[in-house]
Amino acid sequence: MIFTLALARVAIVNSISTTGEELVTIQTELEEYKRKNEILKEKYLQESSLIHLEEKAEKFGFVEAKSQINLSAPLPLARN
Amino acid sequence: MTWRYRFALGLFFLLFFFVVCRLFYWQVVRAQELVSLGKAQYGKEVSLTTERGEIKTADDFSIVANKLAYLVYVNPRLVKERDTYAERLSPLLEIEEATISAVLSENKEKYWVALKQTVDNKTKERIANLNLPGVGFEEKRLRFYPEGSLSAKLLGFVGKDDYGEDKGYFGLEGYYDKQLRGKAGTATIIHDASGQPILAKMNESVHKIDGRNLVLHIDRTLQYMLDRELKKGIETYGAVGGMAAIMNPKTGGILAMSSFPSYDPRSYHEYSDKLYRNPFITDTYEPGSTLKPLVMGSAINLDLLTPDTQCDICAGPVSVSGYEVKTWNDKYTANSTMTEVIQHSDNTGMVFVGRLLGLDRLLGYFNKFGIGEMTGIDLQGEIAPDLRPRDDWYAIDLATATFGQGITVTPIELLTAFSAIANGGNRMEPHVVASVETSEGDIINIPPKVLNKPVSAQTARIITEMMVNAVDKGESKWAKPKGYRIAGKTGTAQIPVAGHYDPNKTITSFVGFGPADDPQFLMLVVIDRPSSSIYGSETAAPLFFNVAKHVLAYYGIPPTKSESEEEE
Repeated sequence: MIFTLALARVAIVNSISTTGEELVTIQTELEEYKRKNEILKEKYLQESSLIHLEEKAEKFGFVEAKSQINLSAPLPLARN
Repeated sequence: MTWRYRFALGLFFLLFFFVVCRLFYWQVVRAQELVSLGKAQYGKEVSLTTERGEIKTADDFSIVANKLAYLVYVNPRLVKERDTYAERLSPLLEIEEATISAVLSENKEKYWVALKQTVDNKTKERIANLNLPGVGFEEKRLRFYPEGSLSAKLLGFVGKDDYGEDKGYFGLEGYYDKQLRGKAGTATIIHDASGQPILAKMNESVHKIDGRNLVLHIDRTLQYMLDRELKKGIETYGAVGGMAAIMNPKTGGILAMSSFPSYDPRSYHEYSDKLYRNPFITDTYEPGSTLKPLVMGSAINLDLLTPDTQCDICAGPVSVSGYEVKTWNDKYTANSTMTEVIQHSDNTGMVFVGRLLGLDRLLGYFNKFGIGEMTGIDLQGEIAPDLRPRDDWYAIDLATATFGQGITVTPIELLTAFSAIANGGNRMEPHVVASVETSEGDIINIPPKVLNKPVSAQTARIITEMMVNAVDKGESKWAKPKGYRIAGKTGTAQIPVAGHYDPNKTITSFVGFGPADDPQFLMLVVIDRPSSSIYGSETAAPLFFNVAKHVLAYYGIPPTKSESEEEE
């Protein structure tokens, strides 16, 4: 029994002995993805900010609406 | 034989006792020390810093987030040619070559010297691509403001405490610092003999809790528009400063709050610390005529008068304890009704109301409207000036208080008091944060809170109609959005200077809400010492209506009357 367990332990230790290295690789990758996500989020927030959108709108020739039309009564229908 | 047997037995017992004592010493007395020693040999304790929570507007946009930044350092011992090194780093770090060379030569015996505290990711990548020996980077997080200095005074900023840790100051960052900060933790990474981490024993103890996110009532579009219009208004009227806030009167949620002059939270240390305060909650002023609807409401709520009650002392100036109380334009209307008193902002009519009310009832209603009390808004730094003690009130004080002089309030106090008029008599607690998101994804909603009910719903309706009349027929009717029923009241308060009022310096204001029949917004605009005109009707009122037009359009609220009906 002891012999079997000892063998099993040796086998398990042998099989997971390299997982530390794999773990480091996975953790490094994970950190890299997190970093990339943060950079993308920063870019997204900057691009979708109202300050940025207003600047872009001006560049494309949009102007602020100075007047509004409210349709409060039904419009007359054309007969002919 | 017996003694030998006993001696051997005793000796064994003694040895056994010593072993037990020794075991006790190592396993109990010095246990903690040995555990630490062991951990140091096979593991590494790392401190887990938390990420500060974000602040989001009502549309879930992070108005305050965190961004990745780097500290650039160098090991001077690995630097061979200092001049070439400095030449290549200088344009990227935006530091003069001579300065970099000097830092490197002064610290040539050291292993670590910081070159620049903060660079962004792009710069870091460009420096890394140079493959210079000895250059390294330390990752850190900085507060990031995608909308720039928008609502800076509402948000506050993050600085350092005495231990060099991040700490929120002023506004939301100050008030919710503990929630935003979270709780730092530690983790032990167990490694094998070659230094590689062991999978099964990773992160033994982690107690890290990331900061919570705040979701605000603030509407980003309204905030942006209010900032822009207020800034324009201050310039147009040549004012020293100004402030404004928009509230949802039904919930007390602050939809926008702005004040100028302001500062940039990204470089707060470059500004005077006087600019850090949010004057809407920290500055006091005499509210002037904006207080009249509240005093009138108190008298109507007590059935002392009706909108049609006539003022029998309004034919000319009123004498009170040897002082003469005049109207703002020195024009008088005999027997004017209470509706006309509010419409003309008649001080003598308010003295009439004050006489009916009496001091005790007036002070009682001031308390009910929260004058002299903190509103409980969730922003750091709120103050509330106390009302004078009962015994310090004289007849003239009662008279002037009815038209908002000789009494001070903060703008948030006044705005909160008016929520009672706009919300069927219920005074709401003002709140900036609508909900809190925990790092586990749970959402804690902050429900609206009714502070009290100073006046009945019927009184609130009557005062609303009087305020609608004041807008439709008052001095600033030209600026009103056509076709809408807006309730409002102007205010012009002189500034007390060395025991008297300066006739040329005023604080003008306008408080109002709309649409009057189903208020969607309540707003107070205060302009500090405008130079183009000293009157609220010519400064604060047009600015109020300008903002109101934008709010009505943004909410898609149609007018109730056409322009021709309005003119009739």
